[in-house]
Amino acid sequence: MERVEKKYSGIMNFLRTPTPTLIGIYIVMLILFSMVSKNFLTIQNLKGIFNNFAVFGILSAGVTIVMIGGGFDLAIGSTAGLAGIVSAVLLMKGIEVPTPIVFLVAITIGCTVGLINGLIITKVGINPIITTLGTLAIIRGICYFWANLNPRILNVFTQNLGRIYLGNVFPITTVYIITAFVILTLILKFTRFGRDLFTIGGNEYLARLSGIPVDRIKIISYVISGFFCSIAGLILISQLGSGRPEYGTGAELEVLTIVVLGGVAVGGGKGNYLGVFIALIIIQTITNGMVLLNVPVYIRVVVKGALLVLVISIDAIRNRRNLQPY
Amino acid sequence: MKLLKKSYFILPVYNVLGRGFMAELKSAGVLQKKGLRLNNTSILFIILIIMFVLFSYIGRPFFFSRLNLIPMLNNLSFIGIIAAVLTMVMVSGEIDFSVGGNIGLTACLTALLLEKGLPGWLVVIIALSGGLAMGAFNGMLVTVIGVNSIMATIGTMFIWRGIGYTLSNGESILAMNPVIDYIGRGFIFKVIPFPIVLLVIFFLATYVIMNHSKWGRRIYAIGANPLASYLSGINVKRVKFINFLFCGITASLGGLILTSLSAVGMPQHGQGLELVIVSSIILGGTALGGGRGQILGTLAGVLILSILYNFLTIMNIYYFYIQIVQGSVLILVVSTYEIRQAMARRRA
Repeated sequence: MERVEKKYSGIMNFLRTPTPTLIGIYIVMLILFSMVSKNFLTIQNLKGIFNNFAVFGILSAGVTIVMIGGGFDLAIGSTAGLAGIVSAVLLMKGIEVPTPIVFLVAITIGCTVGLINGLIITKVGINPIITTLGTLAIIRGICYFWANLNPRILNVFTQNLGRIYLGNVFPITTVYIITAFVILTLILKFTRFGRDLFTIGGNEYLARLSGIPVDRIKIISYVISGFFCSIAGLILISQLGSGRPEYGTGAELEVLTIVVLGGVAVGGGKGNYLGVFIALIIIQTITNGMVLLNVPVYIRVVVKGALLVLVISIDAIRNRRNLQPY
Repeated sequence: MKLLKKSYFILPVYNVLGRGFMAELKSAGVLQKKGLRLNNTSILFIILIIMFVLFSYIGRPFFFSRLNLIPMLNNLSFIGIIAAVLTMVMVSGEIDFSVGGNIGLTACLTALLLEKGLPGWLVVIIALSGGLAMGAFNGMLVTVIGVNSIMATIGTMFIWRGIGYTLSNGESILAMNPVIDYIGRGFIFKVIPFPIVLLVIFFLATYVIMNHSKWGRRIYAIGANPLASYLSGINVKRVKFINFLFCGITASLGGLILTSLSAVGMPQHGQGLELVIVSSIILGGTALGGGRGQILGTLAGVLILSILYNFLTIMNIYYFYIQIVQGSVLILVVSTYEIRQAMARRRA
């Protein structure tokens, strides 16, 4: 391992990741979209792009951790929805729980869901996709307990949480995303947890043999994902100004596309946050471009599904899984 | 075998039912040295009977009535035929989540073509070839490119449903045609509903394929150990690809049945169905990793879950509570399976 790092240190190591390709794709996209639509390269539009990916960005921060460890989390959309609607109900007129307590409750919900996912996946040993597919349905069902309340967000602090622009240009949500990505990058690079996570993603069996507490680290990764889900839920209700049980539906598709496009290997063991961040901008730019070009809303679903399939196919080819004869 | 040798009066039955059936019963643990012992599938069928009796009592007079049971069986039929074929895919170690999206797309396609005035039989052929194409796409992703089948089919699920929305523009389209009507609401000999006949045919066919053909043995071998099957000369990728083709065609047949039953083509048709189908297959004893599973078990799983969800609907429980139950059932079933596997491994 050390020898490899010495051989390709610094810039070479960076060039071997998919990140440079992503930057290239982004530049090409910028040129293309600004040629096609004159509204694309305006401050107003770029502001919109950066503020719109807040929820997906926060969610992909957690999912990246889970996927580097070889896991999977499909329950993110509904967990964010649950945290969102519960905090919206608690902030409702007539109930008005103090804001810090509401945030604490939201974070507790997210972390609990993550803990449950992690416990089922590691201790019972079910495939993570099947587990989180099940919890996705359960949590979305629970969200509908409050379906007829339709709470509005009147609390000023919560309203501002996802809507302020620094210097009237730079959205504060992007600051959250960058902070989260930087902190998580540092954790992945410089802590034992991060190294262990990469080892588990690379080869879980070997990790177990070499004495890494695999189960504990995997559970922690799911709890981190749950934590970011609850933050995303708070930003959702802040930006949309109300709590609805269907918030966050289908977010897993988008986040999965972003994370895999960002170079996180589907089987785990590979990935960095710079790639995920650029992938985030690319996907949001594509969404924005489709809006500017008046693409019908149903075709956008097809395009997003096709993007996911394309991205995971590239991942499979990159990791040479197609060379298996069987 | 000792039992068979001793009790010569069983031999005629043995000959009638065929070696394979008895061998299966024996390997599954029904026939053992110490007389009859129950295997997993028979336990499932006993649970099914108990549930049926219990629900008929609690849900009286609605549950056990012609007005409920016939629609329930009709609704179960398309779930059942898809589950039967998906069992083959899952035994070979892959999975197909895109069946729900396939149903939605097929429903919209069928309704649109009927609206254009095409004859019914041609529409059926086009819809089934659409299913074939979808299956081929899934199979190609999994075998040629080498994508993990769960991820690939989650992606294609969104694509199929998105195409369905695009075709129908998000609206539901009336689908009335003698041929299409017959698929879901026709009767054979004026008594037996046609979808139930289809269900029986599909379960018989898959049973024969899985237990009495070379093809079925290859599928089991691939699921149990793909490398060993490859080395012993089985074309693993081809078997998996053809399984995906079957699955695509069957899912679009399911879409035709659903279109016929509801008389409209909607892109929302079959939404969330993959949850029900996959959990009933796993409830039937099919391993997620492949290599293990029985068609009869899948039949029991489909019947149990369909009866359960039908009962919940009859008891006037909101759809989103049923959604919670569906998710919990999936997790519970898989957990039970995994825990039992772990216990068996510990014992061995």
